Amino acid sequence: MSSRESCRSELRTAIRQLNDRCLYSASKWAAEQLVGIEQDPAKFTPSNTRFQRGSSSIRRRFHTNDVTSTPPAGVSYVSTPVMEEDEVVDGDFYLLAKSYFDCREYRRAAHVLQDQTGKKATFLRCYALYLAGEKRKEEEMIELEGPLGKSDAVNREVASLERELSILRKNGIIDPFGLYLYGLVLIEKGNQNLARTVLMESVNSYPWNWSAWSELQSLCTTIEILNSLTLSNHWMKEFFLASAYQELRMHNESLTKYEHLQNTFSFSNYIRAQIAKAQYCLREFEQVEVIFEELLRNDPYRVEDVDMYSNVLYAKECFSALSYLAHRVFMTDKYRPESCCIIGNYYSLKGQHEKSVLYFRRALKLNKNYLSAWTLMGHEYVEMKNTPAAIDAYRRAVDINPRDYRAWYGLGQAYEMMGMPFYALHYFKKSVFLQSNDSRLWIAMAQCYETDQLHMLEEAIKCYRRAASCNDREAIALHQLAKLHAELGRSEEAALYYKKDLERMEAEEREGPNMVEALLFLAQHCREQKRFEEAEVYCTRLLDYTGPEKETAKSMLRGMRTAESSFPLMDIEHFHP
Amino acid sequence: MAAASAFAITPHKVSVCVLLQMYALPTQATPPFSSVSQHNRLGLYILSLTKSYDDILEPKLEDLISQLREIGGSLGPWLIDHLTSRVSSLSSPDDLFTFFSEMRGILGGSDSVVIEDNQVILDPNSILGMFLRRCVLAFNVLSFEGVCHLLTNIGIYCKEVLSNCMPYELHRLDGSSNDLESLSECENMDLENFVFGKVNEEIEERKEATERVSFHLHATQAICGLVEDVEVVTDPRSKHHDKGTEDCPHVHRPGTESQDVDPYGEVFLRTNWQVQGYLTEQADAIEKHGGSVSFNTFELILRQIKKLAPELHRVHYLHYLNSLYHDDYFAAVENLHCYFDYSAGIEGFDFVPPSGSNNSARYEIALLCLGMMHFYFGHPKQALLVLTEAVRISQVQSNDSCLAYTLAAICNLSSEIGSSITAGILGTSYSPVTSMGSSVSVAQQLFVLLKESLKRAESLKLKRLVASNHLAMAKFDLMHVQRPLLSFGPKASMRLKTCPVNVCKELRLCSHLISEFASETSTVATDGAFSTAWLKNLTKPMGSLVLTQENESGENFHALQFCAQSSSIPRSVLQILGSSYLLRASAWETYGSAPLARINALVYATCFTDSSSSSDTALVHAKLIQHLAAFQGYKEAFSALKVAEERFLSVSRSVLLVLKLQLLHERALHRAHLKLAQQVCDELGVLASSVMGVDMELKREASLRHARTLLAAKQFSEAAAVAHSLFCMCYKFNMQVENATILLLLAEIHKKSGNAVLGLPYALASLSFCQSFNLDLLKASATLTLAELWLSLGSNHAKRALTLIHGALPMILGHGGLELRARARIAESKCYLSDPSYSVFEDSEVVLDPLRQASDELQVLEYHELAAEGFYLMAIIFDKLGKLEEREEAAASFKKHVMALENPQDEDPLLNLL
Repeated sequence: MSSRESCRSELRTAIRQLNDRCLYSASKWAAEQLVGIEQDPAKFTPSNTRFQRGSSSIRRRFHTNDVTSTPPAGVSYVSTPVMEEDEVVDGDFYLLAKSYFDCREYRRAAHVLQDQTGKKATFLRCYALYLAGEKRKEEEMIELEGPLGKSDAVNREVASLERELSILRKNGIIDPFGLYLYGLVLIEKGNQNLARTVLMESVNSYPWNWSAWSELQSLCTTIEILNSLTLSNHWMKEFFLASAYQELRMHNESLTKYEHLQNTFSFSNYIRAQIAKAQYCLREFEQVEVIFEELLRNDPYRVEDVDMYSNVLYAKECFSALSYLAHRVFMTDKYRPESCCIIGNYYSLKGQHEKSVLYFRRALKLNKNYLSAWTLMGHEYVEMKNTPAAIDAYRRAVDINPRDYRAWYGLGQAYEMMGMPFYALHYFKKSVFLQSNDSRLWIAMAQCYETDQLHMLEEAIKCYRRAASCNDREAIALHQLAKLHAELGRSEEAALYYKKDLERMEAEEREGPNMVEALLFLAQHCREQKRFEEAEVYCTRLLDYTGPEKETAKSMLRGMRTAESSFPLMDIEHFHP
Repeated sequence: MAAASAFAITPHKVSVCVLLQMYALPTQATPPFSSVSQHNRLGLYILSLTKSYDDILEPKLEDLISQLREIGGSLGPWLIDHLTSRVSSLSSPDDLFTFFSEMRGILGGSDSVVIEDNQVILDPNSILGMFLRRCVLAFNVLSFEGVCHLLTNIGIYCKEVLSNCMPYELHRLDGSSNDLESLSECENMDLENFVFGKVNEEIEERKEATERVSFHLHATQAICGLVEDVEVVTDPRSKHHDKGTEDCPHVHRPGTESQDVDPYGEVFLRTNWQVQGYLTEQADAIEKHGGSVSFNTFELILRQIKKLAPELHRVHYLHYLNSLYHDDYFAAVENLHCYFDYSAGIEGFDFVPPSGSNNSARYEIALLCLGMMHFYFGHPKQALLVLTEAVRISQVQSNDSCLAYTLAAICNLSSEIGSSITAGILGTSYSPVTSMGSSVSVAQQLFVLLKESLKRAESLKLKRLVASNHLAMAKFDLMHVQRPLLSFGPKASMRLKTCPVNVCKELRLCSHLISEFASETSTVATDGAFSTAWLKNLTKPMGSLVLTQENESGENFHALQFCAQSSSIPRSVLQILGSSYLLRASAWETYGSAPLARINALVYATCFTDSSSSSDTALVHAKLIQHLAAFQGYKEAFSALKVAEERFLSVSRSVLLVLKLQLLHERALHRAHLKLAQQVCDELGVLASSVMGVDMELKREASLRHARTLLAAKQFSEAAAVAHSLFCMCYKFNMQVENATILLLLAEIHKKSGNAVLGLPYALASLSFCQSFNLDLLKASATLTLAELWLSLGSNHAKRALTLIHGALPMILGHGGLELRARARIAESKCYLSDPSYSVFEDSEVVLDPLRQASDELQVLEYHELAAEGFYLMAIIFDKLGKLEEREEAAASFKKHVMALENPQDEDPLLNLL
């Protein structure tokens, strides 16, 4: 990776250029990364490192010699020269247009630039037109609600923009920003392949435009597509790959990338949030909580990705922390879908499901493709026993992203609740296919097979076996496996699983009815197998518990002892039928 | 808000309102309507515009104009002029406000309006009145943005016409040049109309039997009377339709606008009601024509609807049907689940917002559909699991009608697979059958289920279900042996029997449907169908009408009446009735009456092909071709098969494929072309699914034919082994009726292998099977085999054999095919010849005559082995009689057939036919 200093200077230029072209979110991202690069504490006053607090002190201690930060073997990073501006001084019209643009008067901005020919002016004009179209599209989406739902409004500028930009590209007088806009237009038109090529050209010639990378990433729906891209090696590619891996559910790969990037951008909030996201998907809630606590200390008005934090707090049932968070985001910006989602989560945790649905609905009104709100609303409806509404909500989530295993799982659960286990299986199969290392999904599926109506125990056993093999936290699978085998009369297998279950319970120091059951079965099994010593051990352990099992164990012990004492006699009995 | 937005006001609706105004206030018009019928025709046209569902998108102004030209006659130009000027004069929001307040004035009931002389008072509760009211209401609830959108859209709507619109004269010219084309189309149409007419008469006859329906008839007649003089249309669009439908003749394609849809959304869906009607009709079409509907074309249309109306979930159902009939399992499952997830099984004609009603969800219907889907794809186990779940959920939800349908589906399933699989599942799960315990056989379970299902359907007054349950019962009675349900003690009467009377009774009960369905049809649906048909007729040139525009043409009347009538008997009713005829045909086939089977098949082929699924139609064709092969030889059959194959190009090829293989096998056996026979036989076996208990008929057929091939190859022990295992299989799956055939085959094998004594018990067993199952023709054939067996035991049994043959002859000659007849005749003459008391010199004709006939028939079939035998006998007789010339002739024929038998030709001239 190139040195911190060069990154810094590249980013500084890029921010200026992006700002000049009104690509604000890309410039925001770049600025965030710029600040995320670790400063030399010797040179700067504490005010400069204000945003670099948190675990940085610890980190600094451990990462003192990471300046070398060698690139991975065999990879040589091209240093893309910072683009030269074609006109050093902006024309007066450009300045006026940019002011209009900044006041969100897009059409006026475009009109001012009508006769300007420079690349920069052309880009800004097209971009302003595009945004004007987008704005109108949003408005129309609300105005045009047909009798059977909203028909998707379209950006009416797209066709003419496409025409113009394609001509520019053909003539070779298009800059990387124009290519990015062309990519946007092509995505809107549904021409994904060309969009991918165009965006690739854009990021290869100007890698600091994060918006272009994100659009490109949204087009990489499979690992094959991702691998087929030809991208020049720039450190921005690492960011891209990390985010693409995350989207493709390759969380560990993505984590490695991000950790590597942290060598340079050790204070980047963006990277920290992304790491938290990956950890969340890996269900490492503790870590996520730590990361977010730190993030919010540094950046208290952050709303992005905080909904994930609220999910963690929800899962950990932290009432007050969640309420505090909800209050904070509400004060920051209440009309963000994330804020509504957090409030919805809070109400859900309080058991006020109607109110919670209300806030999820609001989140969806703000962004109807907000995936997690649909899924969470489905959960709420399940709690409210309104199964059809729950199914509807989950189905919408699935239609937005067919890889959302939670929604598939929710669908399965809803149908199972209605007593349709066979029908539910279809959905569980889907979710298990997407997330095959999640024991909860396997257990749900197994329970479906186990129901009285289906009673397909062989299949249930197969599912439990999968669940047991992928880190079943609640340890349901082992117990169930043992029970099912016992039910099917396969006492050897049953004993094996009871033993495993017992070992696990011992290791985790858990007690309970499962323990008693396991001990009792093992005692009886060993007695039948004539392994009296083992049986005695289990019986003795059983004596520690109260209840009828204790009595059974006592009588078993007694029986075994008498049998032992009269061992020869019993033998004779054997020969006298 | 939701209720109001269910009906959106669009430019097209504004046009219709303008037309309505012209219809209701004719005084404004400078040239008033010249006749009442002209006035009425306009009214009818407007009605059709609001009701028809031949397309999903609203017509453009252009289309409206060209249709008006045909409707309006002499008034057409004026109507068009007025319409375009009125619509294009709407240029500011205020114009729209005035326009709609004017519209309110047309409605009757408001006192403020002064009623003029010949103003038609539009009843606010009539269909048109309601339409107008809905338009006005929809406009009134529009926000200002909405009004602006409407205005822009009206601008676009008019601009398209005004920019590329040519003046009428030019259009006229264009139209007249098309006239020639339409005339040539008329020639093609004539035949179709003729067939329509014929069918029409039959339907009419049948319908006259019942009072209620004839009322319907009058109603449609009255409407038809109004529109008798419809002009010929030369719509440029119709031309397009012809071209477009070449690749997919069954799905209706929406007009041009669907192909090159303006991406900027100046297209509008018709009303929800119309789109639903369209979808229902398309669903029917898919179910009827199966795989021959072009997958992609329809998928494209559906995608468009989905884009325009994302909340119309029925589209998913159509997706499901489309992929189901194109055998795309995964897409079918996906879409089925998707449809029911969204709609919860309650989305009907009246759109209910998904979050509205929660407690009336009908997920059991999803289970029913899923079960049927698994059944369709040949997964009986899953199907049964799902259906039992459906039974349970229906009971929990107390959805009785779903329960009845589910039971019927289970019946259907278990009668089709009829295997031991069902026993296991039905036994363990919670279903009405469980109470009987597991001791009863599958057939008995099925019987109880059928009874139960019939009872339910009757008590719920589901007429169609009752009828189809009767059909299922008839099918059961036909193929299953009646046994006392629960037998006590070892000596309970265990007489095996089928009962033709019951079959007949069930079939008759099923036919009652024709007089009972009326209560179930909704008039709304008929309205829509009628309007669609009416509009379609507009675009279809009609017979001789070109010449007799003003006359009351009889043919036109018929054609229109037919269109109207086709909607007055629902297709489903016709379909069930059709299947009853199909079942009649197969029943008579089983019982052995060839003419009756043929007649029923013909009735079906002539009357019900329009309404039935193409697989059923193919089946009936197969039956007729089989008949042809048996009675007139292969040449005829093959040429008929070729025609049928062309007609059912992609549909249900399997039925015709099986038939083709059967015919080829039969022929190969006759021509002693054993290699080919074995090859064909193997192909037949491959067609069957490898799953246990599925495709039993096909499996039976294949292994029966395998045994016959082995027999022809004189591998007797192998043939007997195959026949034995087949017998065991049939016994296991409770196919007793089929066992009669197998027993007969075993007798035949023993006869051919020279073990007549061993053959006798088999023949006798087969005979008694036939007797108790009422298989008359098979019985005659078994008698014949028995006689042949006796005969081969020695000449002292010839008398007995002859009596047997004489007993069977009436049946054989009346109903048997060529082969059976020839065999009987040769056997008869052999009996005479071996009878010591018979002398050739006294009465030679008694043997020569049957032999001659037999050899004629066998030559048609090219059955070399038997023909050689016949000629051999003839030659010997002629030799005895001293007729040397005839003897040489017979000997030459004998030689020819023996040669053919020993060196089977590879080239079969008939195979080229296929």
